[in-house]
Amino acid sequence: MNKTKQLFAGLILMALALRTAQADYTLNLMKGVTKVSNDVYDLHMLILWICVLIGVGVFGTMFYSIYHHRKSKGHQAAQFHENTTVEIIWTIIPTLILIGMAIPATKTLLELDDVQDSEMSIKVTGWQWKWEYEYLDNGVHFFSNLDEASNKARQLGSGIDPRSVPHYLQNVDKPLVIPIKKKIRFLFTAADVLHSWWVPDLGWKKDAIPGFINEAWTSVDKPGTYRGQCTELCGKDHGFMPIVVIAMEQPDYDAWVKKTQEEAKKGADLSDQSHGELVAKGAPIYAKNCSTCHLPDGKGVPGAFPAISGSAVVKGDINAQVNLVLNGKAGMPAFGKMLKADELAQVITYTRNALGNAVGDDIQPKAIQELLPKKSAEPVTKAAPEKSEPVADMSKDELISLGKSVYDSNCVSCHQAEGQGNPPMFPALKGSSVVKGDINAQIDLMLNGKGMMPGFGHTLKATDFAAVVTFTRNGLGNSVNDVVQPSVIQKLQSAMPAEQDDDE
Amino acid sequence: MSAVVAEHDDHHHDDHAHGPEKGFLRWIITTNHKDIGTLYLVFALAMFFVGGAMAMVIRAELFEPGMQFVEPHFFNSMTTMHALVMVFGAVMPAFVGLANWMIPMMIGAPDMALPRMNNMSFWVLVAGVLLLASTLFMEGGAPASGWTLYPPLVLQTGKALPFAIFSVHLLGISSIMGAINIIATIFNMRAPGMTLMKMPLFVWTWLITAFLLIAVMPVFAGAVTMLLTDKFFGTSFFDAAGGGDPVLYQHIFWFFGHPEVYIMILPTFGVASTIIPVFARKPLFGYSSMVYATASIAFLSFIVWAHHMFTVGMPIAGELYFMYATMLIAIPTGVKVFNWTATMWKGAMTFEAPMLFSIAFVVLFTMGGFTGLMMSIAPSDFQYHDTYFIVAHFHYTLVPASIFILMAAGYYWLPKWTGHMYNEKIGQLHFWLSVVSVNILFFPQHFLGLAGMPRRIPDYAVQFADWNMISSIGGFIFGASQLLFLYIVIDTIRGGTGEKVTDEVWEDAHKHGLEWTLPSPPPYHTFTTPPTVIPTEHI
Repeated sequence: MNKTKQLFAGLILMALALRTAQADYTLNLMKGVTKVSNDVYDLHMLILWICVLIGVGVFGTMFYSIYHHRKSKGHQAAQFHENTTVEIIWTIIPTLILIGMAIPATKTLLELDDVQDSEMSIKVTGWQWKWEYEYLDNGVHFFSNLDEASNKARQLGSGIDPRSVPHYLQNVDKPLVIPIKKKIRFLFTAADVLHSWWVPDLGWKKDAIPGFINEAWTSVDKPGTYRGQCTELCGKDHGFMPIVVIAMEQPDYDAWVKKTQEEAKKGADLSDQSHGELVAKGAPIYAKNCSTCHLPDGKGVPGAFPAISGSAVVKGDINAQVNLVLNGKAGMPAFGKMLKADELAQVITYTRNALGNAVGDDIQPKAIQELLPKKSAEPVTKAAPEKSEPVADMSKDELISLGKSVYDSNCVSCHQAEGQGNPPMFPALKGSSVVKGDINAQIDLMLNGKGMMPGFGHTLKATDFAAVVTFTRNGLGNSVNDVVQPSVIQKLQSAMPAEQDDDE
Repeated sequence: MSAVVAEHDDHHHDDHAHGPEKGFLRWIITTNHKDIGTLYLVFALAMFFVGGAMAMVIRAELFEPGMQFVEPHFFNSMTTMHALVMVFGAVMPAFVGLANWMIPMMIGAPDMALPRMNNMSFWVLVAGVLLLASTLFMEGGAPASGWTLYPPLVLQTGKALPFAIFSVHLLGISSIMGAINIIATIFNMRAPGMTLMKMPLFVWTWLITAFLLIAVMPVFAGAVTMLLTDKFFGTSFFDAAGGGDPVLYQHIFWFFGHPEVYIMILPTFGVASTIIPVFARKPLFGYSSMVYATASIAFLSFIVWAHHMFTVGMPIAGELYFMYATMLIAIPTGVKVFNWTATMWKGAMTFEAPMLFSIAFVVLFTMGGFTGLMMSIAPSDFQYHDTYFIVAHFHYTLVPASIFILMAAGYYWLPKWTGHMYNEKIGQLHFWLSVVSVNILFFPQHFLGLAGMPRRIPDYAVQFADWNMISSIGGFIFGASQLLFLYIVIDTIRGGTGEKVTDEVWEDAHKHGLEWTLPSPPPYHTFTTPPTVIPTEHI
C-alpha cells in the first residue's frame, strides 16, 4: 500500500509541474469573483484540510500497522477486541468535528439563499440547447448559443483541432452582460427539459426547471469574462450550451444596454424578397437554429427528431408548416418567439426548397408578420404616461381586446397565457381573489407593485393599463363584469411620485 | 464447473445419493443454492465486462477534446447503459451470488429457504438485463438520459422507453425475490446456537441490505411506472403544464437511489469485515458496534435523499435539514473504518490477494467517504454538483470499494468453491495493476471537477485535456487488467496451481466461519444435519 501513497505523491508533484507548464491549469476549486464564491472556497478548503488531517491519522496508523504488525516479521497477533470506551470516543470526536463544520456551512448557505434587496433581475430560460436571457428591468432580451467556431470544430470528424479554437466550447455568440458591484437576482426556468446554470466564478449553480422558477443572486466584484456551461444532462447537445458572463463597470453596461435596445428596435425587414434570396438567407438560419435536432443534412434522428428531407409537413400546406414553426409542438419549440418575421420566412422557404425538398413555393416576411403577436407596448421604451393629452373612453370589448395584447407582452411571462400563474412564485389570476375583489385594490397593486410584482404605474400608458385591468377581470376565466376607463388611470398616474431611475 | 462435480464424490461424508442434474439442463432448472450462486456470479462477471466495454467507449471519446468516435447521443446512451448494467447487472447480482453461495454455508443451513423462487429470481434478472441491452438496437437508441432517468428528458427517449421501463420492473422483481429469500433463510434456517449476534458480519450486512431492497425497489418501480403513464396514458405526474412537478420524480427516485447505493456498499462492508480478521489473525475489533453502525447507516440512508438535489431550489429549511442529516452518515461510517484499522493493529498480517484488495478497499473507500463528506456541505455542493468531482466520488465508493471487495471475495472463496488454489502470483499482479490504474483513472477526475468540468459531456474545453487523457490511460490499463481476473477464475476452476487445498484453506479460518469446516469443494448438499459447533472468533 505504500506504493499507493507514493503514487498520490507522484500525482500531486506531476500536477504541480504541469501547473507551471500551463498557465490556465487548475486543480482546485476557483475562488471566484464574488464574496459568496470566496466563502464557498474557504468552506471547501476547511473541509478538505480536515479530511486530509483525518486521512493522515487513519492511514498513518494503518500503514504503520501494515509495516510492523506482519507475520513475516514474526509479529504475534494480540487478541484484544471489544472496547466500549474506544467506540464511544471515536463516535463523539467526529460528532464534534461535524458540528464545527456545520456552523460555517449554515452561515454561507443562509447568505446564498438571501435574494432580497436585489437591484436588478434577469430571467434565464434553458432551452435545448441554448440560453435565453430577459432583463426584467429594461426589456433587453436575447438568446445565447454556442459560438460558430466551436460549433464547427465539435462536429464528429470535423478535422478541426479544438486547440486552435479560442475558448473551445466555452464561447457564445451573445454573452450575458452584467454590471459589477450590483446585487443581481436571477430567475431560472426552462422551456423543455431540465438544465442547470453554472458559472464557477460566481460560486453556485441552479437548476432550470420547466414550469417552475428558481432564484439565485450574485454581485460580482471585478470586471471580467467568466465562463461556465450547462450542468444538468439535457439531451444530446448538453455539452454544447456554454454560458459566458461579462461583468462591466456601470457606464459600460449602460452603453451596452442602450446599444442592444436600439438593435432590438430595428425589428424585422418586411420588404419582399425573391425566392432565391429567401432560400439563400435561410441556410445560415437553419444551421444555427434547426440543425442541432434536424441535423445539418435534414435527415433528423429517427425516433427523436423527425427528418426535414421528404417530410410530409414540409412538402404539405405551407400555412400548416408556418403554424407549426411559429407555435411549436411537443419537443419543437415555438420559433415565433425567437426569430424575426424575415428570418422565419427565410428558414421556412429554405426547408421547402433545400435539404432534398423542392416544393417550389415561398412565403414573404410580411405574411409571417401578420401571424406574430403584435407588440402594443414596448417594454423597452418606458414611455412616460400621456399626462397632458386627454384620453378617450372605450367600450368594454375594446378594452378587453386591447388588454389581451397588453397582457401578452407584459404579464404572461409570470402569470402565464391562461392566467394559471406559476405557483408558488407567481399567483394565478384565474379565480384570483384580488382580481375578483375590489377593482381599486387591484389597480393600486398594479400601479405600485408588491413583492416580486413590479409596479406598472410608470411603464404602461393609461389606456393600456386600463385595458389590461379590464381584461384580467373579464378574461382568463374571470367574469367580474366591470371596467375601468383610461381617464381614471391617468388621474391616478399623475398623482404618483416621480419615477426613480433604477439604473442610477 | 464439472471439476466441482467430480471432486464432490471424493468427499462423500454425507449420505446423499442425488447430485445435480446431468448436462446443460442442470443450469436451467437448478434449485441448488451453490449452482444458483455460481450462475449469479458468472452472469455478473460477464456483465462487468459488458459495462466495462461501455466505459472504454466513454474513456476513448474523452481521451482528447473534439468528437472522434461517437455521436453525442450515443455517448449519452453509453453513460446511461454503463451505469444501469454495472449497478443492476454486475454489482447487485454479484452480491446476490455471494449471498447464495455463502449465507447457507455460514449459518449452517442446507439451502436457501425458497429454492424455486431462487431459480426464478435469477432467470428474471437475465431477462431484465437482456431486455435492457436490446434497447441499444432500437429506433432512437438506448435510453440516454442518465441512469437516473430524469423527466422530462427521459420522455424524449425513442422506441426504447417502454422496454427500458419494463426491464427495470423485471430487475426490481428479481431483486425483491432475492431479498425475500435471504430474509426468510436468515430468520428461519440458522443452525441451533447461531444467534443473531453470532452471525458472520456478511450475513448481518446482507440481512439489512435485503430489508433496504424490499423497502425501495417498489418505490423505483412506482417512479418509472409514472414515467410510463406520463408518456403513454396522458397523466401529468412530472409535467408542470398539467399540474405536475418534474422535481417530484427526483424526490421519488432518490428515495430509492440513496438506499440503492448502500445496497451496493453494505455487503461490501460485510465481506471486508469477514476477510480482514482472518488475515490479521485477530478477532474483529468491535463486532457489535459494526452491526449497530451498519444498521445506523441503513436507517440514515432513508432520510438523506435530497442531498442529491441541493440545486433544484428547495426551501432553505429543507437544504439545512438534508445537509445536517447527510453529515451524520460520516459518524457510523467512521466507526467502521476505525474498527477495521483497530482490527489490523497488532495483528500478525499476511498479504494474500484477498487481504490486499480488502486493505485497498478500506483506504480508497475512505477517500470516497471524505469527498462524500465534502459534498454533504450544501454550499460547497453548489460547486461540486454534477461535475467530475462527483464522478470521482462515487466511482471511488464503487470501483475500488464494491468491485475490489468482489475481487477479494472471489480470491477468498474460490479455493473453497472449487477445491483448487488460484495462482497467487497472477493474483498479486492483478491487484497491483488494478490499484495503481484505478487511481490513475479516478484521482484526476477530482481535479477536473473542481476545475469546472461537468459530468455527462462527450466533449470538453481544452483546459481539461491533460487530466482526461491521464484518466483515460488509467481506464484502459484498469480495463485490461481485469482480463487477468477472468483468466485466474477460469484457471482456478480448471485446476489452478494443482495444489490440493485443505478444508480451511486459510490459516485458522475454521475459527472464523462455518464454511471453512466443510470440505473444499463442499459437497452438492451441505449441512443437511445442522453443525453442532458455532465458530465465534469473528465476534
